[in-house]
Amino acid sequence: MKKLLKEGPKTVNIGLRGFYDALKQQESSAIHVEWRPPIVKTDLLKRLRKLRKGREQ
Amino acid sequence: MMKYTRVIRGKYYDSVTLMLAAKELQNMSEVDDASLSMTTDANLRILEAADYDISTIAPNPSDLVIAIDCTDIDPEKVFDKAIEILEKPRVHSAEEETEYTPRSLDGALSVFADANLALISIAGQYAGDVARDCLERGLNVMLYSDNVPLETEIELKQMASNKDLIVMGPDCGTAIIKGIGIGFANACPVGPVGIVAAAGTGLQEVHVQLAKLEIGVLHGLGTGGRDVRESVGGISFLSAMQALIDDEETQCLVLVGKPPSENVLEAIIKNATSCSKPVVTAFLGAAYDEDDEKNRVYYAGTLEEAAAIAAAVVKGEDVAAAKKSLKKIDHDLKNLCETKANRSGFLRGLFSGGTLAYEAQQILSDKLGVIRSNAPLDSRYKLNNSLKPEGNCIIDYGEDEFTQGRLHPMMDLAFRRERLVEQLEDKNVGVILIDVVLGYGAHPDPATEIVDAVEKARVEDYPLMIAYVCGTDQDPQNAQEQTRILEQAGFVVCRSNAQAASLAGEFASRSDR
Repeated sequence: MKKLLKEGPKTVNIGLRGFYDALKQQESSAIHVEWRPPIVKTDLLKRLRKLRKGREQ
Repeated sequence: MMKYTRVIRGKYYDSVTLMLAAKELQNMSEVDDASLSMTTDANLRILEAADYDISTIAPNPSDLVIAIDCTDIDPEKVFDKAIEILEKPRVHSAEEETEYTPRSLDGALSVFADANLALISIAGQYAGDVARDCLERGLNVMLYSDNVPLETEIELKQMASNKDLIVMGPDCGTAIIKGIGIGFANACPVGPVGIVAAAGTGLQEVHVQLAKLEIGVLHGLGTGGRDVRESVGGISFLSAMQALIDDEETQCLVLVGKPPSENVLEAIIKNATSCSKPVVTAFLGAAYDEDDEKNRVYYAGTLEEAAAIAAAVVKGEDVAAAKKSLKKIDHDLKNLCETKANRSGFLRGLFSGGTLAYEAQQILSDKLGVIRSNAPLDSRYKLNNSLKPEGNCIIDYGEDEFTQGRLHPMMDLAFRRERLVEQLEDKNVGVILIDVVLGYGAHPDPATEIVDAVEKARVEDYPLMIAYVCGTDQDPQNAQEQTRILEQAGFVVCRSNAQAASLAGEFASRSDR
């Protein structure tokens, strides 16, 4: 967090585009992600995530 | 007029798309009203209150419900038009055409590797997973989304803490980092004050009031309101506070929020008294000690007072005098109210800012006794139905119940505007109190939207209408211009939320109850 306060925000905006536009209006460095919900159901995603974690460990 | 509904199963659209589609339908001459929202319990109750038949609709937040009020047209044609609007590809501006817009977090990081913050404002059911992905990639997180489960919040904050990152939120609408406003934020000078806030519009109000005193803010870190509860333990609040204590450029801290749990408050005060910087606390409604001037810890009763104390501390002026100056009644405004108080009756506050609504209740309950609300100070006074105000009452239209699959009322005023029409037409109402929050991220012209409601209401004698404009002249909407629009429509506009509530209480106390 200290780095964030020192450098200022460099923002990945995920969601409402208006917030990204507001950052650009202030000449702050930002990128907007055109986010869409995952096609697979969230509970399946959770199981996949757990499997991935298990493999990493 | 006839009212019809249609449910579209398993379709997700963001709140902006739904708002724009509703507006496009409302522009059809045969359509009197149109609403598109996700099929949550709360949204169904809103439709029911507007006399739509929802008896056959089962709540399911993954479904979309389209509601239309129309004449002289086959409703199926309007529904088909709605789908057509929703499905048509968005028209991109020239600027958007030339910039790269990734569809995933990893896509964004591949071209923006030095990113240090993710601002997440997607539906609550997905927000936790996306925030986790961001933390895993070393990004701090500001979680604007609400409706995120408590256990997810705790897990994310513990994860962030282990990585020396911060999670601001969920339900965190405002932050300022190195003078840059993130989410809903006002255009104010940059300066020596640092704010930690478990209260979005609380942060905005202190920021704006400081700007009026020509004092700037460098960092304002939000935490979300739940952070200071026992269950979360102030994880983000305490780490934000420490970061500002360690920050070389921050000279004075202001801490804002509803009263934290006993243990969290104890930890906060311990940090405040032991640090080398002056600290002003504004935990609205918390039991206060006398200012601990030896340790330079000051206690404010209102957000405006917190700003006044911080400004005095920074300028090296007398804190007691700064507090005293706020107690003076503005006789000109009071006289103006006298000339506009046409009806006796109840006070109805229609708010978009949660902390502003909370502060108003505190001030008003001291003057009027029981204040009912959908987000009351005391759970005994919770409204049975948030759509049906009773007695003296403050409604927060930014509460979770109104923002599922619907834009926040600071961005889209349509819903609050209709409620304002109802209240203006209610003969039991003597005083209307509203907040108008300006700044980046907010509606481009909220005052005109509010004035539309005043013009639409069918009333001979208007109740006394009091407003507070939370903003500066440097905001994209320009506070001075917004004030002019409201005053021209008959509003009395106050210098702070606390003053607006206080003045409203003077006149509502004369209401027949």
